[in-house]
Amino acid sequence: MSHLLRDQRCARVRHAMAQVGLDVLVMVGDAWRSDYLRFVVDVTPMEGVAVVALSLNNPTCVWVQHPAEAARWQQALPSAVVICTADPAAAVLAHLAQVPANAVGLAPSQVAPLSLAAGALGKTLAACTAMLDDLMVNKSLEEADALARSVRLADEGYAVFKQAARVGRREFELVADVEAWFRSQGCPENFMILGSGGPELRSMHPAGERRLAPGDLVTTELTPCADGYYTQICRTLVMGEPSQAQRDAFAVYLQALEAGIAVVRPGATHGDVAKAQNDVFRQHGLGDYVTSQYTRVRGHGLGLFVDGPHVLEGVPLVLEENMTLVVHPNTYHPVAGYIVLGDTVRVTATGCEVLTTTPRELFSVPL
Amino acid sequence: MRRGLISWSPEEMPVSTLESRVSRLQQAMREQGLGAVLLHTSFAHPAAVHWLTNFTPYWSEALLVVLPKGTPVLLAALTQRVHPWIREVSHLGDVITAPGLGVSAQSYLDEHAAPGARVGVVGLEALPWSTAQPLMNSGWGPKLTDISELFGQLRQPADMTELRLAARAERMAEVTLKASPMNAGTTNAWASVLEAKARLDGAEELLQRIAPDLDLSPTLQRLEGDFPLGEKSAVELSLAYKGAWVRLTQMVCSGPQPASWLAAQSWFERGWRSMRAPHADLSQAGVPPGRMVSWTVQSCVGAEPLQVVAADAGFAPCALPAQALVLLTVQLQLTDGPWYASQMLLLGTGDNESRRLKDVAGL
Repeated sequence: MSHLLRDQRCARVRHAMAQVGLDVLVMVGDAWRSDYLRFVVDVTPMEGVAVVALSLNNPTCVWVQHPAEAARWQQALPSAVVICTADPAAAVLAHLAQVPANAVGLAPSQVAPLSLAAGALGKTLAACTAMLDDLMVNKSLEEADALARSVRLADEGYAVFKQAARVGRREFELVADVEAWFRSQGCPENFMILGSGGPELRSMHPAGERRLAPGDLVTTELTPCADGYYTQICRTLVMGEPSQAQRDAFAVYLQALEAGIAVVRPGATHGDVAKAQNDVFRQHGLGDYVTSQYTRVRGHGLGLFVDGPHVLEGVPLVLEENMTLVVHPNTYHPVAGYIVLGDTVRVTATGCEVLTTTPRELFSVPL
Repeated sequence: MRRGLISWSPEEMPVSTLESRVSRLQQAMREQGLGAVLLHTSFAHPAAVHWLTNFTPYWSEALLVVLPKGTPVLLAALTQRVHPWIREVSHLGDVITAPGLGVSAQSYLDEHAAPGARVGVVGLEALPWSTAQPLMNSGWGPKLTDISELFGQLRQPADMTELRLAARAERMAEVTLKASPMNAGTTNAWASVLEAKARLDGAEELLQRIAPDLDLSPTLQRLEGDFPLGEKSAVELSLAYKGAWVRLTQMVCSGPQPASWLAAQSWFERGWRSMRAPHADLSQAGVPPGRMVSWTVQSCVGAEPLQVVAADAGFAPCALPAQALVLLTVQLQLTDGPWYASQMLLLGTGDNESRRLKDVAGL
């Protein structure tokens, strides 16, 4: 399925390039920002930088920084010209000097290096990045279907996490169990943070050496990918029976999540979804805890990158059918501590489909 | 984009080591007349900032500012809520929330750097434009100068702290490979066992590339989906432990090891022993028992944990000092198929052979 999606996406990019008069689109990626390259050529860099020149009239050219990467890219793109070089940016500039092209664009802004963007190509950066962003946010039916398939990984991965969470285990051991399970499913990549502790905890973080203790709130977000598409689940569990304070706090998050999801429909904005969640907190006298001091975002787009357009009040992005996002009122609660709850949803013609199937519970793990 | 155990052990990474590294950079700054040094860090390129502070971003990016005196300051695009975590895992002066890294860096330099001072940037040409543009457009623009070479000269040879961490990472990787199931059958089954073993042992990161069936393809693949394992396969593990990265490659055969592999291994050992500073290559290795497909020497000399510093093609050789910590990787095409090997080494010089990291006393 991935190759079918690649061809479809590449065709959309070529069409967009033709519409704006671009002959060549130069894209840069690395292991952190691989999404633009993944969208166009369906390959994810593993080490170093990769630069791709997609041409409307000539073979695709790729420059990478390691022979193993070159071999991997060549296998994935048999008709591309793949070159291993110490300086992909210099190589693509030399290439462009030799290849006649009326118009060359560069993307994305987030990772294009100074050496490429400081010159004339830099003037195209914003527009070309926006062009690709628009293509990536507005998913095709097939893309949304692919993302929906990866939600299974998130749901089942969380079941593994719950099973792994036992008193005395260290945070990184939970991650080990979950990552091993993802590899057993052929899932190459997962973004995962977690938190464990009591009311003193203000956020999630990479796994540390802390051992789970009775009464801990244990939060996590799992963001596995399949066919390059990331989905996310956010859940909270308690080591032992939840206290009444924890249950009362969780009820607010549940209400906020439901309120946010209820707003998701074509024509609504990311800001509307955030406001719906935040208003629930405000109604409960917790308005201070929906500020940037305690929470980053109230959700975000999902696709080939783990952190798409943010769901925040004031973000004007209008939802359209087949867009995909996670809605999550994750934030600090002054009595219970840091709580997370989030579901991946897909915008439909009239509303949204909740893809996550894990129950929205404050789970309890036996001691 | 995943990260396992990220932590800071002052026993394994003493504050004194970090401060010594910073002092050496500051000394070089004074000698070069630099008023500040900027180092960018992201998930993909964490090594330079990690070397000075023990900080690795699990998310987003940051910019480290080193002034001629004092502890470095981190301008972090990560939210303020994670500052306590940042402080827990790193040795830093201030941690400043900086959603716009370039703009924040400009402001910080305006306030703290000597007016008109030159500003060194490690990897200036590779700096993301979103960070570079505000700086280039500011009064600091003409003052920015690339100091990648200078930083590389400070970076290697690795100090004992780093060697101990790398040695531990190597042992972890070896133990992980030994845990490979005998008859895994598919890449999923194999990769899952390796992942569990490495991470339960405390690996910060594990990246796997597997060539599942060398009779079908020699390519080491990123694992997406499940593939049946053939009679011969190869796995490459890149493992990080507390910021120290190593890479091991293992050839796997369902039957007895082919004689060709043993011959290749003998040549490989002669080859890495023959490597010498300053230009690590295999020119003295003799003729391999097959066609040389590629070789690379990688080392940590900048922001990448394992940066290619020499290769059979496409790379101008980079001078490395004696005792530099390097990774040699080789791919041969033998008469009966592909063959891979890799070795972590300390680079020899003159009459002194290169040594395996694991053979260095005291690690």
